[in-house]
Amino acid sequence: MLSVTNLKVKYGNIEALHGVSFTVNKGEIVTLIGANGAGKTTTLLSIARLGPPEGPKVIQGDIAFDGASLLNMPAHLVVANLHMVLVPEGRHIFGNLSVMDNLTLATYARKDKENLPRDLDFVFELFPRLGERRKQRAESLSGGEQQMLAVSRALMSGAEFILLDEPSMGLAPLLMYDMFRSLKRLNQQGMTILLVEQNARLALDFAHRGYVLDTGRIVAEGPCDELRDNPEVKKAYLGG
Amino acid sequence: MLETVIQQALNALQLGSYYSLIALGYCLVYGVLLLINFAHGDIFMVGAYIAFFAATYIMGQHALIPPNSPIMVKLVFAGFFALIVTAAVSFAIKKKPQAPGRKNYSYPAILGGIFITVTAAIYYWGQGMKLETGADKILVFAVTMPLTMILTSVVGVFIERVAYKPLRLKGANRLYVVITALMMGIILEYGNLSLLGTSRLSYPTLLPRVVFDVAGAKISITKLTAIAASFLMFALLQWIVTRTKLGMAMRAVSYDKFAVPLMGIPLDAVIVFTFFLGSSMAGMAGMLYAMNFPVLDPFMGALVGWKAFVAAVVGGIGDIRGAFVGGFLLAFLEVIVAAVFSSELRDLISFTILLGILTWKPTGLFGKPKTTKI
Repeated sequence: MLSVTNLKVKYGNIEALHGVSFTVNKGEIVTLIGANGAGKTTTLLSIARLGPPEGPKVIQGDIAFDGASLLNMPAHLVVANLHMVLVPEGRHIFGNLSVMDNLTLATYARKDKENLPRDLDFVFELFPRLGERRKQRAESLSGGEQQMLAVSRALMSGAEFILLDEPSMGLAPLLMYDMFRSLKRLNQQGMTILLVEQNARLALDFAHRGYVLDTGRIVAEGPCDELRDNPEVKKAYLGG
Repeated sequence: MLETVIQQALNALQLGSYYSLIALGYCLVYGVLLLINFAHGDIFMVGAYIAFFAATYIMGQHALIPPNSPIMVKLVFAGFFALIVTAAVSFAIKKKPQAPGRKNYSYPAILGGIFITVTAAIYYWGQGMKLETGADKILVFAVTMPLTMILTSVVGVFIERVAYKPLRLKGANRLYVVITALMMGIILEYGNLSLLGTSRLSYPTLLPRVVFDVAGAKISITKLTAIAASFLMFALLQWIVTRTKLGMAMRAVSYDKFAVPLMGIPLDAVIVFTFFLGSSMAGMAGMLYAMNFPVLDPFMGALVGWKAFVAAVVGGIGDIRGAFVGGFLLAFLEVIVAAVFSSELRDLISFTILLGILTWKPTGLFGKPKTTKI
């Protein structure tokens, strides 16, 4: 579904990825793990085609979706036409809008308006707390609820493939497991997920396959059980 | 006594309607991009000039190119009309999607050709060309108003594309963008000065000189139009911002530009729309102002623009109700001070009062302090 080949990107003059290749197949959960500064977020921002000033610049390699390169596609069309949606690190919800308005806004580019009520019901069933607070200003939500809103927004925008950047950040352990249970359920209903995580143990438990990134390069890959037992990965990311 | 009070209130309403219309433009652009668009007052001035030329051309008072002017001025006028023709043509023949990897140069070449040909044609024949229209002035008004709004918004959007967008894409600090806006304002003022010279133009009378009697106070139809227009535009804007998805997108951009494209929303389109709205209202204010104070000069936008900016800040910049109320508040203060003390003390005292309001409520009347959760 998504294939990244030999991707090199730059922020200004600094090369952040030195040739990264990986694939994600339909219906899979794939995780990218790695330490701070390994290039995980950069990879996701490149795939989402975010423009300057935040987005990195691709200087070599290709990102293809169903075989077609998307390097010349602006970010909003990646969402509108390919239904591939990034849930960014730090949530980036619209705090000045109500929860409901956040969800409505996400449907801006959708063409299948008849499915909106069904999707809204699904979101509120997945995250009942959002339903209770639909009239509240989004910035008054707790951190965990904001993360739920960020994921829900991606669902409302018609996502079939979500790129998740650190969904566990700032969440209490209980909430974190809740969040991952919800994500698992989404996957069982056909959602493809590319997950970026600092919490390697959690990510490897959750995903089917994984890639380990280190300073802009992929240093290990394979099914999650293999990666968990890989001594190098164990030493570096799982604490021995 | 009552008559005087009502008369002064009507005057204040009229003055306030210009301040409000301009303040709404400041507020929209600030609300969406957190950019104080200091060129906005001068866009108001450009609007007044566009309204002047639109009205006089339609009334058939001018040749397309002012006769006996320097060659540069003639070229600019010819180029301006050619630009409109080219834009119309480019809308008519929609750009076809290009094959990836191959650049297609025929489209820009065709448009460039049209532009140069039309410029040359107008340059050659323009001095003898006049629109022959009847002088139904209400019709002229009805055509000039939307035309002014559209052309002024083209100027506003053009400034955004040329001056602000490149800075935004490079992630420039807001300070640099604000300074650029100041410079754009100065360029508009002196560009106008060098193009049209120091002669002051006087705006033709368009609406009939009918005066209504409100409990002894008098108000002309021109003033009434200005007041009505400002209230209408405010209502329209309030509706767009709170009820439509595009308005919602505008508010979303103000809070978090980064996440907007992730919702499938074209960020650029939202920004262009914002400048379109703001500038078209400045154009409208320019025309209404010129109809009531019919002398135009290149620096007319500076002081009015500053005052409208202050009004927007006192109202709580970023909130359109604040800008609207702020505009009228400033106008009422000015009129009251001028009536009670003297008109020389007008700005001194009214701005002191505004300073007091800001000290009491630093975020403005309607402003809310922004909070973020980590």
